[in-house]
Amino acid sequence: MIKLSNINKSFAQHQVLDELELELKIGDRIALIGQNGAGKTTLIRTLLGQYTAEGQLSMFGLNPRQQRIEVLQKIGFVPQHSPPIQMSVGELVDFSAALSLTPMKDEVYALAGKLEFDIEEQAGKPFFKLSGGMKQKLLIALALSKRPEFLIMDEPAANLDPAGRKAFFDELSLLPQNTTMLLSSHRVDELLPFINRIIEMDCGRIVHDQQLADEIKAGKSLDCKIQITGEGEAIRKTLDSWKFSNGSNPGLYSGKLAEADRTKFFIEIAQFSKQIKELKMEAE
Amino acid sequence: MSTLTLPLMGFQNSFITTVIAEIRESFRAKWFFLYTLIFGGAIVMLLALGITESQVLGFTGLSRLLITYIQLCVAILPVFILITTVRTVVGDRESNVLEYILSLPISLGAYYWGKLTARFIIVFIPVLLALSGAVFWGAVKNLTIPWSIVGYYSLMLASLAWAFLGTGMFISTLVRKQEWALGLAFLVWLTLLLFIDVILIGVLLQNQLMEEVIIGIALLNPLQVFRTGAILLFDPELSLLGPASYVILDNMGYTGFLFYSILYPLGLGWGFSWLGYKIFKTGDLV
Repeated sequence: MIKLSNINKSFAQHQVLDELELELKIGDRIALIGQNGAGKTTLIRTLLGQYTAEGQLSMFGLNPRQQRIEVLQKIGFVPQHSPPIQMSVGELVDFSAALSLTPMKDEVYALAGKLEFDIEEQAGKPFFKLSGGMKQKLLIALALSKRPEFLIMDEPAANLDPAGRKAFFDELSLLPQNTTMLLSSHRVDELLPFINRIIEMDCGRIVHDQQLADEIKAGKSLDCKIQITGEGEAIRKTLDSWKFSNGSNPGLYSGKLAEADRTKFFIEIAQFSKQIKELKMEAE
Repeated sequence: MSTLTLPLMGFQNSFITTVIAEIRESFRAKWFFLYTLIFGGAIVMLLALGITESQVLGFTGLSRLLITYIQLCVAILPVFILITTVRTVVGDRESNVLEYILSLPISLGAYYWGKLTARFIIVFIPVLLALSGAVFWGAVKNLTIPWSIVGYYSLMLASLAWAFLGTGMFISTLVRKQEWALGLAFLVWLTLLLFIDVILIGVLLQNQLMEEVIIGIALLNPLQVFRTGAILLFDPELSLLGPASYVILDNMGYTGFLFYSILYPLGLGWGFSWLGYKIFKTGDLV
């Protein structure tokens, strides 16, 4: 459905996407992770046809740059930072609805309502004057109501209150199974129930690409050994919380990990990457 | 639906949607209120000061008012248009508005030309309303209304507005920072202002430049072309303007120069806006 082959993108001599290879299939629900500057936003903007890049990019068999209207009709997008759009809430809904081939206006009102945002009440208010959470809710409602084939969300739940988060995740779970999702987030633990694939980026490359569903369903577990350096009180506490233990070698921890928890474990220890000398995982 | 009809329908739909959204937005913007206040207020003020009843250099009635209004337009209209237009694309880009808007199924041409068209409507309406107000006042006061002058003058104003809108959009796509865009806008305006008739006289006298060079510079400057064309409507011999205008008139004739003063700024606006569009659609959009 979506194929990126040998994609290169650089800004002023700085390589942001480096020979990137990626293929997304219908129904893939991906958590896109990686540190700041890893290339996540550049990848998203390239997929949206907003950046020119070297290499081959095919979205639904089309080029997002040359056939942008056809491609973007199939995409719902929620940006990381809600832009200061001057239009009123009502005008923004009308604007989005006028551009979409799918009748979506009633759906936007209904979806926003579920996210506890009353469009009618706020219709005349300029979008940029809404609170961060309200903006996010409206943009989510606009993206989902298009019934997109491909949903791209950059930190979608970052500004939402607990009730809003719950409503958002409920709506996410109700999307048709054939909806492909690319969700960039720093809190992947929240997304785990909705995703079946994790892609980690670093220095413009994909360094980790894992399918989750089958292994989790099989209930497999892993033998894990991790060698750390230095005192590292925080990492030791984290490993203790995962019931890892160290024997005669104070820097060598070992423990068992359910396959389903592998990603959550990676995310938690990623912050201590400089203190990790060696990490081994073997399926039992 | 065929693959050919979808983009076409997409363009029309996106274009109209963008024009409407931009006009709505501009009506709420502070710059628009200020702009309307200046151009509408100027006419009201000129009428209130009794300028139609005064006589300066042989002009009286509505002609006298329009002459004063021309001076005002030459001084303010271009800089106002430039300052507000140069932020259009680069401002949306910097604030991430462009990232979101261009994630919607909107054609790039529709976005760009829609913004430009809406800006033209917004910029031209207050000026046209002010002129209509002056004509209405003239009718109430039983003054002779110079209809052909009002018609030509409106066309010239539209043409001048288009020239600076095109230049503004070009600058807006060319730079990546709003500060740069504003700086360039001021530079363009100051340069053009410096090269109107008055300065040209000084250059001509001090440097003994060839007449053709001076005339060439004058003919390339849309401000000078507008000023000469507009004054020509009232003073067919251009006795009020400097030597450059006089030589231009001598070479092109009255009708020839009137056409030139409408068509040249229009062409310049198209040229720059087209260049801006080329830059916009070929590079990174955000």
